[in-house]
Amino acid sequence: MFRFNPYSPEIDADPFPAYATLRAEYPCFWSEDAEMWVLSRHKDIVMALNDWETFSSAKGNLVNELPGRAGSTLGTTDPPRHDRLRALIQKAVTKRALAHLMAPAQSVAQKHLEALKGREQFDFVAEFSSKYTVDLIVYLFDLPPADLETVRDKAVMMVQTDPVTRQKGPEHLAAYEWMREYAGNLVQERKKNPGEDLLSQFILSEIDGDKLKDEEILLTVTTLIMAGIESLSGFMTMLIKNITDHPEVREALVENPDLIPDAIEESLRFNTSAQRFRRCVMKETTLHGQTMKPGDFVILAYGAGNRDEDVFPNADVYDLSRKPKGHLGFGGGVHACLGTAIARLACKVAVEELLLAFPNLSKVDQELRWMPSTNFRSPLELQVKA
Amino acid sequence: MPTVNYVSFDGQSTQLELAEGMTIMQGAVMNGVEGIEGECSGSCACATCHCYVDDAWLAKVPAMSENEDEMLDDTASERKPNSRLSCQIKATAALDGIVIHMPEEQE
Repeated sequence: MFRFNPYSPEIDADPFPAYATLRAEYPCFWSEDAEMWVLSRHKDIVMALNDWETFSSAKGNLVNELPGRAGSTLGTTDPPRHDRLRALIQKAVTKRALAHLMAPAQSVAQKHLEALKGREQFDFVAEFSSKYTVDLIVYLFDLPPADLETVRDKAVMMVQTDPVTRQKGPEHLAAYEWMREYAGNLVQERKKNPGEDLLSQFILSEIDGDKLKDEEILLTVTTLIMAGIESLSGFMTMLIKNITDHPEVREALVENPDLIPDAIEESLRFNTSAQRFRRCVMKETTLHGQTMKPGDFVILAYGAGNRDEDVFPNADVYDLSRKPKGHLGFGGGVHACLGTAIARLACKVAVEELLLAFPNLSKVDQELRWMPSTNFRSPLELQVKA
Repeated sequence: MPTVNYVSFDGQSTQLELAEGMTIMQGAVMNGVEGIEGECSGSCACATCHCYVDDAWLAKVPAMSENEDEMLDDTASERKPNSRLSCQIKATAALDGIVIHMPEEQE
C-alpha cells in the first residue's frame, strides 16, 4: 500500500518518486503519516493557492506550525488584512527598489570567496552560502553585527522537524524561542531608534490608522529573518548542487554568465528548497473523488507540481534552456514569496562571483546529508572541489 | 470554462479556455503564451504581468486594489487607462470572451 510520509529521511533525501505516484494515482491523497491531505498536480496546487477563501493560511502555513505563530505573520494572515500588511513591505523589495543591493552583494561574495582562495575543497554551505546570506540580511535589516553565527544556527534549526516524534523537538522550539527574543529586542531597539531599513519601516507602520499588533510585528520579523537566512541559503545550495551535478551547465554559465538567471529559474522549478506548505480547508471541497472537510489540513507539494509533465515536458530533466514560467518555486497567489527579487539578485551575484573564482567547481559526494524538515529540502553540507 | 483572447504586441491572437478561478497571468504562463512574465508568482509585487484590457471589457473587470494601482506605476511599457496586472484578474463566467492586449515589454 502506498504511503506518503513527509517525516521520513527517505523523503528528505528524494521525494520525487513518491511525488510521481501521488500525481499519477493519488492526486488528492490522505497521508496517514502527516494526517493531512496532499495535493501534487500543478493545476490543483495553483487553484488552491488562488482560492484563499477555501484554502486558508490563517491556521498556519508550515506543515508543522510553530506555537503561537499562526495568524500573526504575513504568511499566516488571509486577505484583506494580509494585503494591507504586505503592501507595507512590498515596495521595498521590488526588483527596482533593490538595485542598491547589487554592489554590497558583490563585495560580500568577493570577501568570502577571497577567504577560500587556494583551497582545494570546501563546504559550500558552511563556508560560503551561510556567511553570504547572513551578511546580506544584516545589510538589508541593519541587524546588530553581534553573534551572527548563532542567528544563523537558530534560523536553520527552527525550520526542522524531528523525524521520530513527528513534531518540533525541544531543540527546534528552543531555537524558535531564541529567535523570538532576538527579534523582540530588535523591535524594541528600532522603535527607539528607527532607521531607513526594511524592518524599521514595517515596525513603524500603521494600517488604516491602527498600529500593528506587537505580536504581528515580532513574528513577522522572526519569519523574515528565518526566510532571509535559512531559505535563501537553502535554495542557493540547491542551485550550486544542480550546477555541479551538470558539468555542461556549469561550462555554459562560465562561458556566458548571462545564462545564470535561466539556471536560477530552472532550479526553482527542478528542486526548489520550498517543497511543501500547508493550508486549512474552510469549506467542504470534493476533488478527484475525495472529500476534504472544513478543518482538514492540506499539504501543497510545490516540488511535485514543478515536476508535472502536463505543464513541464521532460520534467525530471534539468534543462538550462527551458526558461520555465509559472513554476511553484516561490509558491504562488497572494502568499507567493515576498523575497523573490532578493533571492534572484542574491543568487545571480553569488553564482557570477563563484564561477569567476572557481570556474571548474565540482561536487565531491554523491550521497548527501539532508535537513530533516517537512517543508524545506536542502543538504546540510555540500562539499565542492575548486 | 471561460475563454480568454490574448493579443500579442504584434497583433497575433491566441485563444485559451481557462479553468474558472485561474488568473489571466497563470493562463498565459502555463500555456506558453509569450508577453506576460509573472516574476513574483502572482502576488501583485512586480508588474511583469502588465496587460491592457480591451476597452469593450474594461467596465466588467473588477476594480483594482490600491496596491495594484501603485504597482502599475512601475511598468516597463507605458501605463494607459486600461492598464491592469493580469495576476489580479481571474477568469470567470462574467469575463468569458475577454480580450487582453500585451504590452511591448515587461522588463
